[in-house]
Amino acid sequence: MSDNTILSVRDLRVTFQTNDGPVEAVKGVNLDLKSGETLAIVGESGSGKSQTTMALMGLLAANGKATGSVKYRDREVLNLSERELNKIRGKKITMIFQEPMTSLDPLYRIGDQLAEPLRYHAGMSRRQARPRILELLRLVGIPDPERRIDSYPHEMSGGQRQRVMIAMALANDPDILIADEPTTALDVTIQAQILELLADLQKRLGMAIVFITHDLGIVRRFADHVAVMRRGEVVEDGTAEAVFTAPKHPYTRMLLDAEPEGQKLPPAPDAPELLRGDKVHVTFPLGGGFLKKPTYLQAVKGISVNLREGQTIGVVGESGSGKSTLGRALLRLTESEGRVAWLGTELPHGIDEMRPFRHQLQLVFQDPFGSLSPRMTVGQIITEGLLIHEPSMSRAERNTRAGEALEEVGLDASMRNRYPHEFSGGQRQRIAIARTMILRPRVIVLDEPTSALDRSVQKQIVTLLRDLQLKYKLSYFFISHDLSVVRALADHIIVMKSGEIVEEGPTEQVFDAPREDYTRRLMEAALSTERFRPAS
Amino acid sequence: MTDATMTAAPSRSLWQDAWIRLKKNRAALASLVVLVVLGLAGAIGPMISPHPYGAIYQQYVRVPPSLEAYPRADEIEPAVTDLIRRARVDATETEVSGDTVTVQIASDQPIDERVVRYFQRSDQFFNPELELAGDGLSGTLTMGVERNYFFLGTDNLGRDMLSRILIGVRISLAIGLLASAMALVLGVTYGAISGYLGGRVDNVMMRIVDILYSLPFIFFVILLLVFFGRSLLIIFIAIGATEWLDMARIVRGQTLSLKRREFVQAAEALGATRAGILKRHIIPNALGPVIVFVTLLVPKAILAESLLSFLGLGVQDPMTSLGLLISEGAQNMRGASWQLIGPAAVLTVILFALNFLGDGLRDSLDPKER
Repeated sequence: MSDNTILSVRDLRVTFQTNDGPVEAVKGVNLDLKSGETLAIVGESGSGKSQTTMALMGLLAANGKATGSVKYRDREVLNLSERELNKIRGKKITMIFQEPMTSLDPLYRIGDQLAEPLRYHAGMSRRQARPRILELLRLVGIPDPERRIDSYPHEMSGGQRQRVMIAMALANDPDILIADEPTTALDVTIQAQILELLADLQKRLGMAIVFITHDLGIVRRFADHVAVMRRGEVVEDGTAEAVFTAPKHPYTRMLLDAEPEGQKLPPAPDAPELLRGDKVHVTFPLGGGFLKKPTYLQAVKGISVNLREGQTIGVVGESGSGKSTLGRALLRLTESEGRVAWLGTELPHGIDEMRPFRHQLQLVFQDPFGSLSPRMTVGQIITEGLLIHEPSMSRAERNTRAGEALEEVGLDASMRNRYPHEFSGGQRQRIAIARTMILRPRVIVLDEPTSALDRSVQKQIVTLLRDLQLKYKLSYFFISHDLSVVRALADHIIVMKSGEIVEEGPTEQVFDAPREDYTRRLMEAALSTERFRPAS
Repeated sequence: MTDATMTAAPSRSLWQDAWIRLKKNRAALASLVVLVVLGLAGAIGPMISPHPYGAIYQQYVRVPPSLEAYPRADEIEPAVTDLIRRARVDATETEVSGDTVTVQIASDQPIDERVVRYFQRSDQFFNPELELAGDGLSGTLTMGVERNYFFLGTDNLGRDMLSRILIGVRISLAIGLLASAMALVLGVTYGAISGYLGGRVDNVMMRIVDILYSLPFIFFVILLLVFFGRSLLIIFIAIGATEWLDMARIVRGQTLSLKRREFVQAAEALGATRAGILKRHIIPNALGPVIVFVTLLVPKAILAESLLSFLGLGVQDPMTSLGLLISEGAQNMRGASWQLIGPAAVLTVILFALNFLGDGLRDSLDPKER
């Protein structure tokens, strides 16, 4: 232990009392943090990486209990009283969270929220705090801080809100900044900007950063030290270089290999055309009211696509680019203008008219936690489509089909009597896929099916999707912002921005030789392995 | 696939599952037992009670609750003396032995056989027999002492409180449950349809609710009673028809948030009909708050009924309800607190039990608690 170690964690254990008895979330973790250094804690969901930091911030849920020792500058901080802890927490050790949308109170202006830590810890008055707040906003790169200081959170974008959160954390010149997946909810280009900002601030202010993430790409580019966590234990730690070049633990190797691999060959040139959209427009009415003229948002502006049998079209773009809306419009799940044809005949509008086509055109959602009804058993969820499209089928027959569909996606047929909440994210996504596969569809729109999953699980889902495609000659319309997954699955790429196609072409061409600036920026932000450099 | 190894659980429906979970919740289970016992007491209690709920015991007006039988031993002689005086004869000797009273009576004039009637009319004695001596100026009167138990006392007219509370429980529970059931069916259907269809339909349906809201409740009930005549059924309908409005709003709000959830969209992508989505997805998922609201609705309906009864629009004497009993008891609480304590305690127990049961039901209907 050298002199400049400012945080040392020894044998930290976190136990939760639950209805099923005590559950140990963190099992004896040891960590050291030197001042000015970046320590990344890497692990998949449920590995205890967040609970570790929650414990040292004294933010555990009421049923959680932490034991062991956490020393900040040789002072024990674990299980301090609330009052003692507050002298350190929010002042010397601060934290930023994953969700910039919910971490700010929507009822207060940005300036008031930023004034909170200053007034509390530094004892400043509202007026005294104002210049310091403006300075902070400038520091984190918010344009026009004099105006923004009086904005409400909803008037800012996700990236700007995360900047405000960072400004809040920096308000009292902390020694340690704990960042819990600070960029996961953001688009790749904004993610890169935020990380650059953090790297820059670290250099200028000399604080230590504890960075919690599941994204190894970020770790490689950002961290000095890496601790890999699995099931509550640190399985490997060392310098970033050592961990990435010579991983010792098999789990680390598995994580490093979890990048989806392989390529998709384009379908045969004579493959029949299944789904064709011509000049698809989608317009959403925005507000307007009883007497006011409604305003409209053009989400998709005249896009033409052509999906052939066995083909996978990858649609990439940042949030708000209209890629999900396009997918839904092609399935006639949202009102659209323009022609959408299935096997050469135009698809009808209207719920009842579309029903006969539905079993061939299916949809898988991003969030496997939200897309399964919590009050239905897995069997009921999977067989709902059969109930609709083959109403004459007997109960026993449906039951058999459910079992078959579950086995097809790699789950046990006996699980059909359980409820969705008993399954992990990856298992749930398999259930969602089974729900569509039971209808023997020909086209599946996959709306970010892997975004909410851990890397290693992502890889399994990608493999599953690929196997199913080969087996049933499926066509996928694959929507994602994760370029590495798209590269592994798609043979044709569409890059979207503000409802329009920016660039399109075969996967290799788009990835290797992007024509447009926007595409190039996207690729760079997502796939670069260069370390973040403080802006000079 | 390492995480695919789970043991199979037997297939159970939502309700079977809920029942299993409910059984683990002691407070809810105890509440259920209490409610069932009270329900049974209300249903069959008045039939087996020795005192009809309308029977008036003139001699026992406002007697306090007691485990002893009335008349008490020391009250028998004064009662006999009182009756003897009224019969205008003289008692020479009164002897009380167990449940029989023997009185030697005498008079200046010949005693009429009809003096027995004074004793026949009394609630305290039964089977009076008069044996007159030869001259008709004296005789022996024997009669049984009528033992009456008033465990919860009597009211101002001398009616047994226990019987009245039992009939009150019957009426109040019936009104509470039936009116809530009506509000539940109407409100859930209306709210779910309105919320799910949305847009103009939602607007029109909710404005109708707003208009009904603005009608004064009492005015509405009077209107109904005038048109259809007074009956218990109309009271159910009147209360149910006003309580469903809240339910409709709650369910509509739930539906609005539920229909944006991905599992509803997934069902739409599967081609499910609107009715199917409402039945399989929206309503089951909205059940939690609905159940809690129903348990609040039952006491509300019970109280609404007592308001109507108080105004003379609800049930009428000699029929009664808990609300009516409490309002009568409240007027007499100074001299005869038992008239208030009895029905109030029963109502409190009912409300407590309903609340615990509602909480338990909400928890047990949530599969995450399994």
